[in-house]
Amino acid sequence: MNVEFSPELEAFRAEVADFFATAPTPAIREAGAKTTSVFAPFDQCMAWHKILYKKGWAAPHWPVEYGGTGWSVEQRFIFAEEYRKADLPPLLPQSLGMVGPLLIDLGTEEQKAKYLPGIIQGDDFWAQGYSEPNSGSDLASLSCRAEADGDDYIINGSKIWTTYAHHANRMFMLVRTSNEGKKQQGITFLLLDRMDYPGMDVRPIYGLDGFPEQCEVFFDNVRVPQSGCVGEENDGWTVAKHLLKHERGGSAASPTLMRYCERARGAAAQTPSPFGGTLADDPVFQSEVGAIEANIASLSHMEKLAIAGHPVARDPSFPSMNKTINSEALQDISTLMARLSGVDGLARQVEALRVGSNVEPLGSEFDLIAMPLYLNSRAASIYAGSNEVQRDLIARTVAMH
Amino acid sequence: MEFAFSQEQDMLRESVARFLEKNYDFDTRQALVRSDTAWSEDVWSQFAELGLLALPFSEDKGGLGGSIADCVAFAGHFGKHLVIEPYAHSIMLAGAALEASDHEGATAWLEKLASGEAIVAFAYEEGAGTSTPEMIQTRASGSGNAVTLRGEKRLVIAGAQADAVIVAARTDDQTIGLFLVAKDAPGLGIRSYTTIDGQSAAKMTFNDTPAQTLMRDAGEALDTILTNAIIVQSAEAVGAMEALLATTAEYAMTRKQFGKPIMMFQSVAHRLSDMKIAYTKALSTLTYTTALANSGGASARDVAVLKGQIGKLGREIGEAAIQTHGGVGMTDELNVSHYHKRLLAYDAQLGDHAYHLRVVGRA
Repeated sequence: MNVEFSPELEAFRAEVADFFATAPTPAIREAGAKTTSVFAPFDQCMAWHKILYKKGWAAPHWPVEYGGTGWSVEQRFIFAEEYRKADLPPLLPQSLGMVGPLLIDLGTEEQKAKYLPGIIQGDDFWAQGYSEPNSGSDLASLSCRAEADGDDYIINGSKIWTTYAHHANRMFMLVRTSNEGKKQQGITFLLLDRMDYPGMDVRPIYGLDGFPEQCEVFFDNVRVPQSGCVGEENDGWTVAKHLLKHERGGSAASPTLMRYCERARGAAAQTPSPFGGTLADDPVFQSEVGAIEANIASLSHMEKLAIAGHPVARDPSFPSMNKTINSEALQDISTLMARLSGVDGLARQVEALRVGSNVEPLGSEFDLIAMPLYLNSRAASIYAGSNEVQRDLIARTVAMH
Repeated sequence: MEFAFSQEQDMLRESVARFLEKNYDFDTRQALVRSDTAWSEDVWSQFAELGLLALPFSEDKGGLGGSIADCVAFAGHFGKHLVIEPYAHSIMLAGAALEASDHEGATAWLEKLASGEAIVAFAYEEGAGTSTPEMIQTRASGSGNAVTLRGEKRLVIAGAQADAVIVAARTDDQTIGLFLVAKDAPGLGIRSYTTIDGQSAAKMTFNDTPAQTLMRDAGEALDTILTNAIIVQSAEAVGAMEALLATTAEYAMTRKQFGKPIMMFQSVAHRLSDMKIAYTKALSTLTYTTALANSGGASARDVAVLKGQIGKLGREIGEAAIQTHGGVGMTDELNVSHYHKRLLAYDAQLGDHAYHLRVVGRA
């Protein structure tokens, strides 16, 4: 057993850190500092995506033939670690992490040739049309309908919680093409070339943090070509399940969480305790942040074992455990951060948080992000399969022990 | 990075597993706990035969030169079988202290310990818990072979059965030293008892008890000794957690109420799911910290993370197992309560999770 990275890997780490120190523009850095969600500010995020593409680093996890880096898992982890340390905005997951890998696995040659270049180059951004007003955790009950008409489908219905649909130029979605048999049968996975088809209407939903991150998408007799099907008609559930694997896939969440812990410690050292000294000296604060950090340490140990191919990561419920732990750890640390900001967290500072607004925050940089991060992170245990659904999945595997 | 056990380590684990499966089922263990003997002499000599007692010590001190990862490889089975023989205390603590000492008598004691001829106990814990050596109040006056000890040790595993005892005490220079006391030394009071998890222990009092100095300033050596003992006890704890998860899952799938297995109720299923999450965290942190320690790189913070997580997660798993089993989980007859008490014992020793998690937060 050993935990050392080889000298070659440490040299690689230096190369990555050097690039992150020099390549991002000031606006991209500002976006990183003002990220209060898993979804970073859109414009700067895409600008950074294009810079990474030019360097060849936009999609480390993709196969080399489609523009991946060919890095080892260790290199990918080091890249992720350095990325978080540099406080850079994370690239958006829908295109690079979800529909891209899905097309690589299941798309036709024609679909790959048509869509993959736009995805990896950062020219296209894809919205994910899954949830509906009456189909959340029970996704298979979805009812947004696509009727065949010649070579086209006519879509009627609506999607909701479609992240950044107002920024997207393409969309992948699940539609109901049949009501026969089980509800999982009769679902089709569909690619939409445009977001401005006649009859399509995107309406942003303002979230509890004051930002229009989520959207509703309405379809009123929207005509789209059937060539956008991935997999067979009525077999979209199998396709979607394949994609969920990518959505829950074990990335490196712990470095981001540890950065938040550092920020919380920094704020505590500046915050007077009503019992004397600063909150950093307060035993209750020390116990709380210690418990949170030890939990995040365990998550990072799981991530490192996964990289090394340890059997613990081959458990079928590993992605669900990973998602549950990291979403709840995010809620733990953001709760502590919002408490630390105290009444300074009560100011609604949407404009100061906008990249390039040049609005001076009322309090510190920490106070600017703590409350929005707390509010936004309530979604972490809801999206990508609520934690209740994850626990159902994990429970199905306990009898294996 | 490499976290897998080597082939040799797998073989060692398999041979320990086979031995315990054959000779150490729960009923045999319970009969042993209820008997007049503290533990099984036969099992202890089998441990010697398997090389476990000599494993962690260097070859020039008569050991087998095993690594901490070697010990972790098999220790989970000690937890799984709720072993009451004093491996962690007598070998990982007392043995390691003898190994670290230059005192002429230490090597002879170590040889006897490693061959199974003698038991040496480690008297460390005082009062409500000894989270760090700085809390030690037992005093050592004088120097060399003319030291006398005054004080009290509350939890000395195998204390009443030991042929010699190593005592951690505060010297006149305020260092924490390690001292060797003979079992028949004057002024040594021993009150033996059994712990809630079935181990033989003693409360020891030292009333100007003569002792020999193994190490006058044990600071650094003690850090290493405690770290290795914490890692091995954590490995035992993870073995106990795995057993609890398995037995509780099986119970939830077979126990029926309202006409269906209780696992079909989401509140029960989610508790099982949380047990598995806790176990996975504990196993991952154990594995990673072992790899760190094996390459000499486990910091004080890494060890605090391990001890804090194992204590906290172990307690959570134990309590969830009892709740899931319902009334039968409350009985002495079923192994569930015994696993829980063993996990409580790991948590309480060498600083509990509240202490270690605060250390993580203070850093």
